Amino acid sequence: MATRRCLICVRAARPTLLLQSNTRRSMPGNSKRHNSSEALADWEQQLAKPSWSVQSLLPSDTQPTDAPKISSKQLHHLLRLSALPLPASAEEETKMLDTLSSQLHFVREIQEVDTQGVQPLRAIRDETSAAGKEQEITMETLKDALAQEDIIGKHHKRIRRRTDKIDAKDAEDWDVLGYAERKSGKYFVVDSGKS
Amino acid sequence: MFSRPSSSLYRGAAQGRYVCQACLRDVRVRRQLVANAQCLQLRSRSLQTTTTAEEVTPYRKQLKDEAKKKKLEGGPKASKKKSKTKDPRLEKWELTVGIEIHAELNTARKLFSSAATSSSDAPNTHVAVFDVAFPGTQPHFQRETLIPALRAAIALNCIIQPKSSFDRKHYFYQDQPAGYQITQYYEPFAKDGHITLFDHDGIAPEDGKSITIGIKQIQMEQDTAKTIQRPPSTHLLDFNRVSHPLIEVITLPHIHHPSTAAACVRKIQAILKTIDAVTAGMELGGLRADVNVSVRERHNTTGTGPDNSYYGVTGLGQRTEIKNLSSFKAVEDAIIAERDRQIDVLEAGGIIEGETRGWTLGSKETRKLRGKEGEIDYRYMPDPDLGPVIVGDDVVQALRDTLPELPDDIASKLVSSVKYGLTMKDAKTMVALDDGERLDYYLDVVQLLHKDLENDTALQGSIGRVAGNWVLHELGGLFTTSEEGWTDTKVMSQNLTSIISQLLRRQITGRTAKLLIATIFHGDQRTVNQIIEEENMTLRPMSREDYLATAKALLSENPDVVQAIKEKGQHGKIMFLVGQMVRRSEEGTVEAKTAESILKELLEIPRDE
Repeated sequence: MATRRCLICVRAARPTLLLQSNTRRSMPGNSKRHNSSEALADWEQQLAKPSWSVQSLLPSDTQPTDAPKISSKQLHHLLRLSALPLPASAEEETKMLDTLSSQLHFVREIQEVDTQGVQPLRAIRDETSAAGKEQEITMETLKDALAQEDIIGKHHKRIRRRTDKIDAKDAEDWDVLGYAERKSGKYFVVDSGKS
Repeated sequence: MFSRPSSSLYRGAAQGRYVCQACLRDVRVRRQLVANAQCLQLRSRSLQTTTTAEEVTPYRKQLKDEAKKKKLEGGPKASKKKSKTKDPRLEKWELTVGIEIHAELNTARKLFSSAATSSSDAPNTHVAVFDVAFPGTQPHFQRETLIPALRAAIALNCIIQPKSSFDRKHYFYQDQPAGYQITQYYEPFAKDGHITLFDHDGIAPEDGKSITIGIKQIQMEQDTAKTIQRPPSTHLLDFNRVSHPLIEVITLPHIHHPSTAAACVRKIQAILKTIDAVTAGMELGGLRADVNVSVRERHNTTGTGPDNSYYGVTGLGQRTEIKNLSSFKAVEDAIIAERDRQIDVLEAGGIIEGETRGWTLGSKETRKLRGKEGEIDYRYMPDPDLGPVIVGDDVVQALRDTLPELPDDIASKLVSSVKYGLTMKDAKTMVALDDGERLDYYLDVVQLLHKDLENDTALQGSIGRVAGNWVLHELGGLFTTSEEGWTDTKVMSQNLTSIISQLLRRQITGRTAKLLIATIFHGDQRTVNQIIEEENMTLRPMSREDYLATAKALLSENPDVVQAIKEKGQHGKIMFLVGQMVRRSEEGTVEAKTAESILKELLEIPRDE
């Protein structure tokens, strides 16, 4: 979902395009031509009120959703996958199903954006070739680790990594069990019984 | 959803708008790939609402359980008979197996944190904040973990991907603090490898002299925590092992016999150990295997299951996955049991459910751990916290150039070279023993012997073989009997060389040589030559007359044995007589071979019988 959200951010940078393609959802009138003297006032007027709302991507009275129906069984499966509690009552379940339905409607709207030729975004990261060169793992990168290996054997030469204790104090020196709700000696305790 | 939906999506937008058809197709393909190949876990990854978890049971316990079960069902005879007769159903049904091997890499630090790796340290002493998924902590890819991984991929003939990335595989379980495992689902670091198994590796005879198994990919992923069960429902968790780097080797379904599958796992383990990529083998829990088993009718190529093809292998039946296999024997037995179960179901007219099953050593059938309704949707997604892994060509080339010799190549050399001339069985044993130390010692002894006997061209041909016998069986036997681990200082290679050299030159008898090696093994500090001199062990070969005299005396003392040999043809008893001759005479005077030929002469039995 992060992918789609980012795409929307990119697209939303040009709201006018969206407006033109979704005219039925746009707020009344703003594509008239004005001469330059009125242009400034016009802009202020335009910016005073929102011209687009994300509500346009959600189902409404004027635009009921035609999303496929999610069954109660499917909902329960999804909740179990996410380790979320099952709905406590029938009303809560109906509410959840409605929300899920709107979300699916939202997804459909988003999928109508043409992303042909656009690589999905995984994270905001420097993806230039210069950055690629920097991130490349070379012999230089690995030389310290390779220096920790010996070649042993008189005739049958083979590699052995030296297994002396390494200094990992930066990472390991903290009270691991300090936040444990339940512990037993040096172990964390988890109870998987159904109570 | 990660892949690129085609433009047909937008054309069909008016119709199937909620899930794009291209994505649906992709999901179907991917689910097939997931279901077919992707490792679920070595333990049953049940959600809190379903069945109980499985622990990796220690090997000794497994063997004990198996022995117990065997006892209960009343003796080995029944099961032995079963395995001997060829199952006629196998004429009709063909088995297909794919294997997923998880191996713990030999690295100093973990995969995504700089905490140290460990195997038996005090619990929870090597845990970084990221390892226990403290909110806000970030993974830091430890690039050194690539070294053993790349070596493994090179040794298994894979193509190293210059760019690979990490993905999250989501499921909840107490031994995985983050709620997801970081693995390489979409872009693994190595693809399209292969491993060749030979008849001497223990493949099924039906597979002929050799079979090449394709390797789909090798990926890096995190290990989980160690759990100790405290029944009924409590678990003690040790997070030392969380985020220990693993590689997962996924083979293609090219395997059609259970023994070949076990041989494949054995061989991969041997290769990984030789290149120092893993420290512990299956017996110690450092390597685990999951297998995917399906059957199909030999003469019906369309396949019965919905997953009809996998990465180019078509017509497959519905497969089930067996998890928690922690020994080579378990791999073989579990596959046999599952194949038989599947054939039973299909012949009775049923269908195979795509489920996850478990196996305990000693059981007769796999048991269901999780069915389709408990199938987990892993919701794979690229991990946004981690950048791509870009591997330079120089690294791959350097590791390839410095890769240690692989067991196959060493064994071939030991067999084919005149210098060594070992049998394949002995060669493989030599390579596998004591992490290569035994082999190193053997090579040293052979080198010293060749130097020592460089003027004796007649003896050159037998040096390798005789040395092999002494290093593996005589010296090895001494270590086994005294229950000690191998060390090359008990009997220095120079000493063994002296013994063998004297033996080959017939300056001492075989019996004397064995005595010598035992003496030195048990701590005698003198040199070989000193002992021989002081104990008067040099061979003083008896004259032919003396041999005949001793032999005749022996024959007259044992008329019944003579009768057995001459009339009943029990030629084995000749060796008994030989032994008697040797024992009776002074140390170092009787040579077994000469005694044998003299006895045969006297008993009028042709030399070569």
